[in-house]
Amino acid sequence: MRELVVQVSFALYAALTLGGAVWAVTAKSLVRALLGLTLSLMGVAALYVLIAAPLVALMQILIYVGAVVVLIFFAIMLTRAQAEQEEAGARDAGRTLRAGAAGLVVAGLLAAACLRHGPKIAGTAVEVPPSDIGAAFLGPYVLGFEVISVVLFAAMAGAVVLAFERRKPR
Amino acid sequence: MSPLLLYQLVAFGLLAVGLFGLLSRSSLVGMLISVELMLNGAGLSIVAAGQLTPMPHELGQAAALFVMGLAAAESTLVLAIVYVVRKRFGSAASDAVSELRG
Repeated sequence: MRELVVQVSFALYAALTLGGAVWAVTAKSLVRALLGLTLSLMGVAALYVLIAAPLVALMQILIYVGAVVVLIFFAIMLTRAQAEQEEAGARDAGRTLRAGAAGLVVAGLLAAACLRHGPKIAGTAVEVPPSDIGAAFLGPYVLGFEVISVVLFAAMAGAVVLAFERRKPR
Repeated sequence: MSPLLLYQLVAFGLLAVGLFGLLSRSSLVGMLISVELMLNGAGLSIVAAGQLTPMPHELGQAAALFVMGLAAAESTLVLAIVYVVRKRFGSAASDAVSELRG
């Protein structure tokens, strides 16, 4: 019974993830594409819960759905990309075909390698307490932890410098 | 099929869809959405590999959190770049940025 519930919910979440992703890349309006991205992110968060990683799932919702999606929405509104209707007209069939072939070839090669030479071991997912993750961050991986805060600061400072409107001298 | 393999296949699906979107979209914001999809696939693959194999579980989760932080930094910068491109070229399409064309 429990096995069946897990399998059905995995199928549901995987369908949500991939369906949202397909919607995100095929929708004509960029706002709808963003909605598809949100669906896909939520599906991935549910998949995280399914393998006993609730902290990562919460962070996924907090960072991606809470921050990144809002940032992309700002980008859409700032550039008024939807009003330009640039996604609607320029649908080149050859371009779509080439893009699909590229995506399928790369992912298909990786999937074939994974199917043939993937590890046969199957561990069971055990939930680790958040304090263990915190100990990993502040113990052996403290350098990466500090560097990522520098990266975030540099990205934000760079964004401000790029978008800063300099007053023209008269 | 083992659960690890199923998770990796979902991650490869996200990679394929994101790559397709990156190459077929013509606006910079659409390309950014596709890049976020691919980064998500990477995070899913990392966490699945950490949780479903006998390696220390907290390493996979910590690596996924790193990926999320990098994705946030990347989207902040891309937002600023898209804004500047829109201001300078009058459009946020990737074809508009072609000043070097002879």
